[in-house]
Amino acid sequence: MRFIRPGCPATSTGEILRVAFFIILRAVFGYLFLVFMVRIVGRRPGKQLTPFEFVLIFYLGGLTLTGLVGTEMSLTNAVTQIITVALCHYILTCLRIRSDTFAKILDGTPLVLLDNGRWRTRTMSNMRLQDDDVMDMAREQGISDLSGIRVAVLETFGQITIIPAGNNKEENTGESGNAG
Amino acid sequence: MSNLPFESEVADSVSKAENKVAVGEDLEFQRKWWRFEHIAWSILLAIVIVDLLGGFGRGWLARAQKSTPDQAMTLHYERIARASTPSVMTFQFTDKAIHNGRITLYVSDSVVKPLGALRIAPQPALSSIGDGGITYVFDAGKGPSTVQIQLQPSFPGAHPFTVHVEGEPPVHGSVFVMP
Repeated sequence: MRFIRPGCPATSTGEILRVAFFIILRAVFGYLFLVFMVRIVGRRPGKQLTPFEFVLIFYLGGLTLTGLVGTEMSLTNAVTQIITVALCHYILTCLRIRSDTFAKILDGTPLVLLDNGRWRTRTMSNMRLQDDDVMDMAREQGISDLSGIRVAVLETFGQITIIPAGNNKEENTGESGNAG
Repeated sequence: MSNLPFESEVADSVSKAENKVAVGEDLEFQRKWWRFEHIAWSILLAIVIVDLLGGFGRGWLARAQKSTPDQAMTLHYERIARASTPSVMTFQFTDKAIHNGRITLYVSDSVVKPLGALRIAPQPALSSIGDGGITYVFDAGKGPSTVQIQLQPSFPGAHPFTVHVEGEPPVHGSVFVMP
């Protein structure tokens, strides 16, 4: 075997700029792609990640890292990409605050799962949820059956919020459960 | 500077469930999003299928072959390669490519630079630069012979190349490097 050249170092200014540009571009793409994938995969209820979701999060992160780093394993590369990802995150956050539509695209909207004693079946199936998931959260609040739930809402961060059936009076009088 | 905090009126703009519980649900948007999700999943599935077929390199669709008119040289390569991923360009020669016991092979600079040629096997007896490329000379006996160039492309994009064996017209090809 004859060795032609030791790797592929950038030689001209144009190539050096191109390498730097691709490092930044990889970081931007990796971040936006992960945001998109996590958004598409959907919200799952629960206050903590299940082992099933741990696998997804770590595996996605690890696989993205391989493509992001490439052959450039320097500290400079890592710092540049971290700053790039931080900037992307900052820009997305600013856009989310300024635009309701963008906020909905990024986070979705809260979704009512149970309302007025009736399941929102289409919402449940599209969000890949079952009535058991709602009851899990209801039990945490000491509610023993579905008749004790007035409204169940799937929040944008994935948790199911349960409003108990006995809350009518408190709302009408403006009292709060924490008012003491 | 004033110590007064910036304030605004509380607007009751959040949509309500049962006309009482402020939820902020936007079902119209959500229906559009579900439609988008279904399309996105279809596209993601299509991407995986295209990848399995080699549409993004390293598969059946990526393989390419080019020959000189009299089959003196046949070139096997990947028309779709991946950045920073090894790929091999294989040249097969018949007796028609041998002149005075030697095979003279010219490869354009693009094979060396953007396509990232790392190694050539077997070792040529002679190599020289010029005419926008490298000319390799191999000692050759009778019978079919093979030369391989190991590539590792650095930059995404289309990279045209030319190879030329003595006594034959040049062969042009292109490798598209995926990011």
